[in-house]
Amino acid sequence: MQVMTPELTQYLENIKYRSKLENSDEAEVMSEIEAHIEDKVQELRESGLSQEEAIKTCLGQMGGTKVVARQIYEAYSQGSWKQVLLASMPHLLFGLLFTLNWWQYAGWLTIVLILVLATTIYGWFHGKPTWVFSWLGYSLIPVLAVGLMLLYLPQIWSLLALPIYFPLALWWLFRIIVQTTKRDWIFGSLMLLPIPIIIGWLLAISPEIKLTEASLQRVYYFAPWIGLSFLALGLTIAAFIRLRQRWLRLGLLAISGLLTLTLVVYYTTGRLNTLTFLGLILVMWGVLAMPPLVERFLRSGRRLTWKHKDTADSHSKQSA
Amino acid sequence: MVSRRELLKGSSNSLLLCLLEQQPMYGYQIVKELEARSDGYFRFKEGTLYPALHRLEKSGLVIGKWQMLPNGRQRRYYYITAKGLAKLDQERTQWQDFLKALRLVLQPETSGM
Repeated sequence: MQVMTPELTQYLENIKYRSKLENSDEAEVMSEIEAHIEDKVQELRESGLSQEEAIKTCLGQMGGTKVVARQIYEAYSQGSWKQVLLASMPHLLFGLLFTLNWWQYAGWLTIVLILVLATTIYGWFHGKPTWVFSWLGYSLIPVLAVGLMLLYLPQIWSLLALPIYFPLALWWLFRIIVQTTKRDWIFGSLMLLPIPIIIGWLLAISPEIKLTEASLQRVYYFAPWIGLSFLALGLTIAAFIRLRQRWLRLGLLAISGLLTLTLVVYYTTGRLNTLTFLGLILVMWGVLAMPPLVERFLRSGRRLTWKHKDTADSHSKQSA
Repeated sequence: MVSRRELLKGSSNSLLLCLLEQQPMYGYQIVKELEARSDGYFRFKEGTLYPALHRLEKSGLVIGKWQMLPNGRQRRYYYITAKGLAKLDQERTQWQDFLKALRLVLQPETSGM
């Protein structure tokens, strides 16, 4: 008997979309729930109900997709301590680079950047586990670095290269955000979290975005505090991995981002004025708000897929 | 007054472990068995059974294994582990103490005091 109607398929799709599981877990969980629904509908049909009544009763007894998906999310979201270590490592590595003043040695910088790129590529092509997204954020640094280096070209070349490079870099960044958002938008925010902090330090060290003797002196001076801000990010990610509830994870990113920015402004002792601070808060807000907006945009592009969503949910509410 | 849903929420781990102690079962079978053995008192929102089972699995109290049925369909059977048995033992004692204390308060004349 063909049990899976579009309505039931949509119910499963909604759970799948909301529970944000890794691919390997997703297939198993969804197969299990699908088998349960098939058994249930078949039994209800055998008891004399029509197909429509059987589906309505089944969905009512299964529970709303929001509740089921939230509980599945919370059952799977907590990462292991190994994942905590892996996810916070890039922040700690960058923190160490500055705390130990290794940032001035090209060798250490190269090793760290190669490690970041290699780990990101490995994780990206091995199922995009949660820990990969904090590495992914740092793998964008070479893109920023190349953009900054273009500023050192002779003026005419710089004027020619920058209008080409920056749209390309932004397009690439957007592609990465889209790919990350497809997995779960909250990882997009997690990935972008260091950006306002790094911009804050860059503006404090060199407002004209040029490497000078004076700006290098400032890096020496601020290095322990730069290290501390990366450590704060590392601790944030560690807590994020261990938390189960989605709203707590988002709250953590927002509060920690804001506190770390405040720390940057406090330790740069007047080099960042109130307007810059407000600008950085705006960037932080963008970091948190852009991924869900991108997801909404992507989802509205697939509106047809979701058109039965409310029907399935309303069935379960009515029968509950 | 504590709702039946709250009571079920607080006791779901013990109930699931207790059922799986008897024999390995798959999700739908668990729902039916629980309903039958409690005379219809314990009814899960069936979709929420799986997160509960997966939480137990993540804690190492049960283990899930896919099995092919004779009709060609696959089912994920859950088996209680040694850690699960130890936990059940602990929870069973806790519930018995709780029920004993509850009876002493609610029905003092029939509790032999």
